[in-house]
Amino acid sequence: MAITAIRPTGEVRSGAAEWARAFRAMIRWNLLSLRLWLALIASVQVLAGAGFVLGIALFFDHIPASAALYVTTGVPVINLILVGLVLGPQLVADQKIQHSYEFLRTLPVPQTAVAAAWYTVCLISGIPGVLISLLIAEARYQITLAPSPQIVPAILLTAFTGTMMGYAIGHAVPSPMTTRLITQLLIFAMFGFTPILFPVGQLPGWLGTVNWWLPFGHMATIVRAGLTTGMVTGVATSYLVVAVWGAASAVLAAWAMGRRR
Amino acid sequence: MTASTVASTTVRQEPDWSFRAEGVTKIYNGTLRANDGITLRVDPGEVYGLLGPNGAGKSTLVKQVIGLLKPTSGQIRLGPFDLVADPGAARQLCSYLPQAPMPIESFRVREAIELTGRIRGGDAATVRRRTTELIEGLEIGEWADVIGQRLSGGIRRLAGFAMVTVWPGRVVILDEPTNDVDPLRRRLLWDQVRFLGQQGCAVFLVTHNVMEAEKSVDRLAVIDAGRLIAAGTPSSLKSADRGHLRLQVMLAPGAPTPPLPPWVRDHVRSGHNLVAAIGEADAAQGIRWAVHLIERGTAEEYALGAATLEDVYIRLTGDVLEDRNQAG
Repeated sequence: MAITAIRPTGEVRSGAAEWARAFRAMIRWNLLSLRLWLALIASVQVLAGAGFVLGIALFFDHIPASAALYVTTGVPVINLILVGLVLGPQLVADQKIQHSYEFLRTLPVPQTAVAAAWYTVCLISGIPGVLISLLIAEARYQITLAPSPQIVPAILLTAFTGTMMGYAIGHAVPSPMTTRLITQLLIFAMFGFTPILFPVGQLPGWLGTVNWWLPFGHMATIVRAGLTTGMVTGVATSYLVVAVWGAASAVLAAWAMGRRR
Repeated sequence: MTASTVASTTVRQEPDWSFRAEGVTKIYNGTLRANDGITLRVDPGEVYGLLGPNGAGKSTLVKQVIGLLKPTSGQIRLGPFDLVADPGAARQLCSYLPQAPMPIESFRVREAIELTGRIRGGDAATVRRRTTELIEGLEIGEWADVIGQRLSGGIRRLAGFAMVTVWPGRVVILDEPTNDVDPLRRRLLWDQVRFLGQQGCAVFLVTHNVMEAEKSVDRLAVIDAGRLIAAGTPSSLKSADRGHLRLQVMLAPGAPTPPLPPWVRDHVRSGHNLVAAIGEADAAQGIRWAVHLIERGTAEEYALGAATLEDVYIRLTGDVLEDRNQAG
């Protein structure tokens, strides 16, 4: 058999083409890494979305139209951030436990391309859940949504901030066990104590104030603004808060990933 | 010669792609010296062994090369690049096989190798050809389409080796590459390591398996407690032991080290193993002494042989390895 000669290169690649190549390769790496779980993740997404949409109605004899509308327009946020914020850091924690984290950090790819690839995978994994949840809600509650083009930046930014927060937790928190605890706490807090599925006015005043500084209620606001007309106010502020959380998380994640002990 | 001709000659020259570490020191928590002033040079095409007991600082050194750790002081350079200042360049110019298992649970072996080759910057056609050659060369074709989760440790190790060498960097770092690999395929792996050297890669082989290193490296360094305590070719390191024999005595369980005759030049004990260096002229009395120990019940068996790199290693580090006994 003829053996392929290899001449190790002395060239250090950079630039947009190199970034795009790394981005595509890392999307493939992520999809192959998740291959055994993709079907499960998709099912969890659909079940979580449909579960909230249908489950909340069980709390009421007759669910008020306003409650149905809040749930319907809040569930997409959960679909959009579930993989990035909850599964993402747990995967990084697993890599740390299995000692494969260091190998992944030595792959010769720009860290921004790695992060962008993971964001893309999280975004794509969220969208089918969003669509199915909305269809089920429309059928169950006879709600007519009025989606506008504004829904596109709302979805992109919500998924981005959720993914980057998860990325920062996964990479910056040294102990995998702590990472797991934080994600468990986040699920609990997100569903029960943040104004994603209900109006902020239903929370005690102090908790409403705390939530003003957190991104979750604002994510719901910008998604609602893209799905309905006249339902929410202060949308520009909400975009700002979500964007600041996304940017700050991205900076923290970049610092943690680039750090050499 | 004018200045301009000097400049044009310099431009045409292939740059010096040697790897140089100078005074590399890594101190953890202000006190623990994991590496202490390590200086070494590896030229393209060389297979360079880093030997030392567990915890000696071998892995710490290579992690500083690949940019996972930052030296407390010292320089690491490859050709024109300062790898400490530019870890991005280090990742592109160096390939790294860590000791830990590769994260390929849900990857087919062929996919994992090809994708890593592409990530490392290889073109699709060459990467595909190299993947096939590595799968055939390492005789792992049977598992080419099996996912990592279903592989034995040894096959997974070989898949990892293929992943990092399918499109190798100028420096290839292999941290204990033959762990879990069967003896036949270990030989195939060494053939591939040789090939990397022939193609101009500088290969760092981190191991505590002295026997394997003796057969496969061009030069080596012995690291102990963070310091480089010896370096050279295997034969240059053995030259001090020329004319010596190694008398290995397996002591009976619980037996104390027996009084040593005056003609024993050096000795080390680890567990039940007593290894003594003796002169060639003392071979006969060495055997008589060992047989006498067995007859008294102090020892169970003995072996007499030529001094090996392992004896040098033992003398330098005081560390006796079990691999020799396992290898028979």
